[in-house]
Amino acid sequence: MSRLHPFTLLAVAAALPALAWILPAPAGGAGAAVVALGLAATAGARRGLWPALLTAAPFWVFLLMLHDVATTVTIGLRLTTMAASFVWVVAVLPPPRLVEAMVAAGWSARVAYLFAATLSAVPLFKARGQRLIDTQRCRGLSPRGGLASRLRALRALALPLILSALHEVDERALALETRGLAPGIRRTPLAPPRDRVGERVARWGLALGCAAALVWRIA
Amino acid sequence: MSPALRADHVSFAYGPTPALVDVSFALAPGDRVALLGRNGAGKSTLVKLVTGLLRPGAGSVWVDDWDTRDRAPEALARRVGSVFQHADQQLFARTLWDDVSFGPRALGLAPSEVARRVARALATLDLAGLAREHPYDLPPAFRKLAALAGALALEPVLLVLDEPTAGLDRALRARVARALGERSAEGVALLVVTHDLTFAAETLERGLVLDRGRLACDEPLLTLLAADDRLAPLGLAPPPVAALSAALLLPGRPIRAADAAHTLARVAASRVGP
Amino acid sequence: MTRLALEHVSFWYPATAAPALADVSLAVADGEVVALVGHVGAGASTLLLVAGDLAPRVLGGRLEGRVTCAGTATGAGRRGIVLPTPWTQLSGMASTVWDEVAFGPANLGWPKDEITRQVERALERLEITPLRARDPATLSGGELQRVIVAGILAMDPVLLLCDEPTAELDPAGARAVWRLLHATAREGRAVLVATSDLDAAAEVVDRVVWLEGGRVAGAGTRSLLAADAMCAAGLGTTVAGVWRAAGLAAPYPATLAEAVQRWG
Repeated sequence: MSRLHPFTLLAVAAALPALAWILPAPAGGAGAAVVALGLAATAGARRGLWPALLTAAPFWVFLLMLHDVATTVTIGLRLTTMAASFVWVVAVLPPPRLVEAMVAAGWSARVAYLFAATLSAVPLFKARGQRLIDTQRCRGLSPRGGLASRLRALRALALPLILSALHEVDERALALETRGLAPGIRRTPLAPPRDRVGERVARWGLALGCAAALVWRIA
Repeated sequence: MSPALRADHVSFAYGPTPALVDVSFALAPGDRVALLGRNGAGKSTLVKLVTGLLRPGAGSVWVDDWDTRDRAPEALARRVGSVFQHADQQLFARTLWDDVSFGPRALGLAPSEVARRVARALATLDLAGLAREHPYDLPPAFRKLAALAGALALEPVLLVLDEPTAGLDRALRARVARALGERSAEGVALLVVTHDLTFAAETLERGLVLDRGRLACDEPLLTLLAADDRLAPLGLAPPPVAALSAALLLPGRPIRAADAAHTLARVAASRVGP
Repeated sequence: MTRLALEHVSFWYPATAAPALADVSLAVADGEVVALVGHVGAGASTLLLVAGDLAPRVLGGRLEGRVTCAGTATGAGRRGIVLPTPWTQLSGMASTVWDEVAFGPANLGWPKDEITRQVERALERLEITPLRARDPATLSGGELQRVIVAGILAMDPVLLLCDEPTAELDPAGARAVWRLLHATAREGRAVLVATSDLDAAAEVVDRVVWLEGGRVAGAGTRSLLAADAMCAAGLGTTVAGVWRAAGLAAPYPATLAEAVQRWG
């Protein structure tokens, strides 16, 4: 799967949620969700399946509070598809590969980094988060205990993570400037991923398939 | 009286890669010890074992009379105050005061006791004037001091610091040195990981040198830092004062600036002679 | 030839009343290493950002006075700046150290073989060739700092600006980087380094500029690091400080070699 072209991976990750919303519920949503979760599972239980399920779970809770069961299932399956697709693509597409693909296709380096930054944010956050948990535990923060203490713990972890990440966004933007980004210059592709004809056909096929489904639904 | 920190034939490996092999040493209350060695020698691993973030693969680590294998890091925080590298990224409260008070509050102390400890920690590092500031408005150097204040506020029996002077200028390093000196005089043991051998020479007494996971040296800095032939294979070099003492053949080979100046003056005067 | 010139430069960060730099004038010529020394907050980092055309262009704020860097009208890459926080200067877009070092040159649009040449050279000079296939996210602070310096050098800048380039390094690594800065200047580059490692600076730099509260408090050759005023401010070398504290006569030796010579 890692040998597939990044655009193919993105196409699949976009097509699944699209189909989940377009195709008639609940079968369409269920089918798409199953496929998306299946893909997430191929990235492993720890990196793919669990994060996908954990991301989707809160939405199900909220939906249940607001809607009846039928609507909950309909919307829940669609949201699950979106979550699972996103988790899958983050797990399976390394940001540098995406940048290479976009630059080779003619996108400016700036835009490519912006796109890829959303993918790389997740593992960076996780690594940071782990370091932070360690540090705060050594200051006496207990991850156990009742709801009140867990909420306090969350604040001690979430706040520094967000604050330092925000603070770092500024620094990172500055740092990228120091690495040669300038308007008007075409970045040299170092290792552009191979784009096979079959994949290009498949991508167009997916796009056309979604469009056809949309037309069929509306008509 | 039990040692503040004791390592008993401690070994640890990350998967198949050994990081520490059969390390044993002890720190008495008030001891001031530098943990030295090349990058990758195992210093950070040892720090994690002392704070309870890692469990030894073999052997045991004792903080006072607690075995770290029986306690979680948050429990060990009652005895061990630690500051890791890049501590300036750990702050989160709205004011410096609030951030420093995080540790004592997490220990469940009474508000009056929390206030006392925080005030004392800030005063020790001359940070009282910045107590109302937002941590992220302060330059990174002061955020580092704030993290140290947080560890001091725990009033632990052992302070474990990883590169506490990185990024600090001489004046701020002097503040840290003074604060550590005060605490160790009260019986707090210090274990300081540092590349700054000048700071080690000025503030600490003993050196533990790790080399590829093993304890290569455990001796007073006075003899260790003057021995160029032994430091070189360990990836270290004598700090400027020690190098000066050796080059000028100063008696006693002082490793502290004040001692070197004193000796230099004495020798210079005797040279001029009557 | 003068590469960088600051003439009566004052700079204010956005929404700040007090200037971070006030009436600063300095010049750095090709082939020389100039050290910027001062206490934390004196303005050295700001000065480097201004010299590197990052302030006010990227950071915002207000600039008065003139900043000229010869031969860099189009900017990109010709002024290399090494920031004090290597982990934020990482691109986050490279899975190997090789790619990380190649990041800058690739952005400059150079041909592939030129990139390869520059990257290999930079890896060698920073002695990190064994790390070429490592994931940058797994590197230690010291290794990371060397990777970043390599990445900036690989862009072949004519002006190299460094903010505490040895902060994360162990003494051996720090010595190697100072030797490299010296060598890179001798190749014709202009190098400006903000540093608190005054002992190392005294061995390597040609000139010293002392910044205090955003102003130039003194400037001179490396012997400035042994001047009485500098020692009194805690900004002299260790050797000079000991000499002075011993009550021996000025001028104080700045380096160990000078002290040995003086001692006889």
